[in-house]
Amino acid sequence: MVRVTYDSIKKKYGDTVAVEDIKVTVDDGEFAVLLGPSGCGKTTTLRCLAGLTEPTEGTIRLGDHDVTDVHPKNRNIAMVFQQFALYPHMNVWQNISYPLKVDGVDKETRRERAREVAEMVEIEELLDRDVGQLSGGQRQRVALGRAMIRRPAVFLMDEPLASLDAKLKVDMRSRIKVLQQDLGITTLYVTHDQEEAMTLGDKLIVMDDGNIQQVGSPDKVYHEPKNRFVAGFIGSPTMNFIEVERDGRTIRPVHGAAEFAVDLDDEVAARYEGHDRFEIGVRPQYFKLHTAQTDNAIRGQVKVTEPMGDEQLIDVLVGEDEDPLELTVKAPSTIDVARNDEVWLTIQQELIHGFDLDSGERIAEGGDQRQRVAASRAEAE
Amino acid sequence: MATEQDTAQPYGEQSDLEQLYERLVETGLAKLAVYAGLGVFLVWTLFPVYWLVTATLKTRETLLSFPPQWIPFDAQLGNFAALFAQRPEFFQFILNSVIVTIVTTIIATSIGAAAAYGFVAFDFPYNLDFHLPFYILSTRFMPPIVTIIPLFVIYRSFGLVNTLPGLILTYVMFNIPFAVWMMKGFFEEVPRSIVESAMIDGHTHVGAFVKIVLPLVKPGLIASAIFTIIITWNELLFAIILSQNASAMTIPVGLASFITKYSVQWVNMSVAGTIALVPVLVFAFVAREQLVSGFSMGAVQK
Ligand SMILES: Nc1ncnc2c1ncn2[C@@H]1O[C@H](COP(=O)(O)OP(=O)(O)O)[C@@H](O)[C@H]1O
Ligand SMILES: [Mg+2]
Repeated sequence: MVRVTYDSIKKKYGDTVAVEDIKVTVDDGEFAVLLGPSGCGKTTTLRCLAGLTEPTEGTIRLGDHDVTDVHPKNRNIAMVFQQFALYPHMNVWQNISYPLKVDGVDKETRRERAREVAEMVEIEELLDRDVGQLSGGQRQRVALGRAMIRRPAVFLMDEPLASLDAKLKVDMRSRIKVLQQDLGITTLYVTHDQEEAMTLGDKLIVMDDGNIQQVGSPDKVYHEPKNRFVAGFIGSPTMNFIEVERDGRTIRPVHGAAEFAVDLDDEVAARYEGHDRFEIGVRPQYFKLHTAQTDNAIRGQVKVTEPMGDEQLIDVLVGEDEDPLELTVKAPSTIDVARNDEVWLTIQQELIHGFDLDSGERIAEGGDQRQRVAASRAEAE
Repeated sequence: MATEQDTAQPYGEQSDLEQLYERLVETGLAKLAVYAGLGVFLVWTLFPVYWLVTATLKTRETLLSFPPQWIPFDAQLGNFAALFAQRPEFFQFILNSVIVTIVTTIIATSIGAAAAYGFVAFDFPYNLDFHLPFYILSTRFMPPIVTIIPLFVIYRSFGLVNTLPGLILTYVMFNIPFAVWMMKGFFEEVPRSIVESAMIDGHTHVGAFVKIVLPLVKPGLIASAIFTIIITWNELLFAIILSQNASAMTIPVGLASFITKYSVQWVNMSVAGTIALVPVLVFAFVAREQLVSGFSMGAVQK
């Protein structure tokens, strides 16, 4: 149980920069999730902490100790791999207790401890099985057990649930969360699945292209994305991005779609003083769909609807030229629309974001962000 | 252009040949033919062994008689004792063969496995982890006989002619390329994350190699050991040049010595040949499961 500090970590493979400049601290007992698209350097970042990859530059500290050049075995960490990496020639209890065996603990104690840990991950009836006979979910529990048995200072997990089926994933997810909270062990968890990240993490570390894009709580990265990348990566379905020009309080898309002309409230318009051209980001649920003409609404045409139980996703085309704007809208399933129907969209303006076209940074919105959160929550209910 | 033929042939018409084949299967004749073929093959491969072993029970006359005596009625149990009485140095040959084979196998398999693991687990500069294994294999491209003269000269100046270490050194060089390539395939099957797990669980890399990786590639180790044993145990060419007296001669050299300018000592040769054959047979039989899984690879996946 210890604080983890990455200080300007860089890793190059030949000319490939896997990780460019990682600076982040994970506090004692915190559950941090490294989130980002495939190839962005999450695994490399994690492996540097494990000692399996040697950083090209920078230092890593566990507590106050610089461990950059310390062998993995001396770092007091445990790691769960996506491919489970169980020892195929040992049975379940031997696998779980192997770290103790290497430590020279006697067999009696090892078995006893393996039993305790197996109970925590609910596989006590499998202790004497060969790992070859286990299902994927069971194997992952064994891997978890093996990671836990030594009570390491830090848990590392690299997409541990990626190869499990959907239901098992959700199941294991909550188990991992509970175990982490009970044990209070500092955890770094890698995933490319934002839903997994949002549900598990105390702290999300959003990465892209070898760099950290934003660090913050799940709420923070969702409601106050630092830049366009984070805004687009977090949230499903993805936020709609529209490049707009501002004319007084009215915004219009830069490319075509004359039907899209929205008058902003004074308060919202004030945010974008000084930005004549920028990009707005609107999450699908921040649109409101109307079947009759409404004030300050965008006229569009339904392209396709995707029912999702209580809600539905509707792709709406705005503008009739060859290159219409395509917006994704989330609406209650009580609204009955079909392909080619005419619809009107209004925007919950206080919830939209604006992004600078050059830097991609979010344009500050001011005001109390928590109110925005509350507003969006209320909306969801 | 859909003709009648096209529509009538969703599953294809049976040709006469196919019909004939089906008839044969139905009547069990096909099976019979397969067994007959296998039977012929079995006799073809096993008969020489039978002939060799039964020859140890015959006299020179019955061995060479025509028509041949298929079964040795008048078993000459004294042939074994006679061999060692006439050629007491045969004890030495057997001992030499055993020592040379065991030591060679241990050294060649260990070095081969360690080298192969190095190539698989580490990135060498200049892509050498790719090029070096090929270079190692290439040492076996030329006919071994072309190296005999230079080797003999080198050995003479180092005092290695007529010594067991000299023979062992040659055989180790012989067998390493094969062991490296065999083991490389096995190590490639071991997921890297297992080795990394072992290091995180407290092993050094060497510890992880010995305690985790080696047990996983056991079928490969056994298969390369068996190959080394077979090659070394039966090697004649280098042994005959590099051993000039009984102190360093191996069984194959002893066998060859029954062929002299004036005659071939058939009975003694059969006896000695049987002695040479038995250990390899027994060993291969005991290890046959490992050998088979060694060839079918994928042995690590569970
Ligand atoms: N051992 C390696 N050799 C060369 N390039 C590597 C190696 N490991 C990772 N990379 C490269 O570094 C980048 C980041 O990889 P990785 O950390 O595995 O990303 P992620 O886990 O986020 O998918 C990728 O472009 C990958 O190709
Ligand atoms: Mg990865």
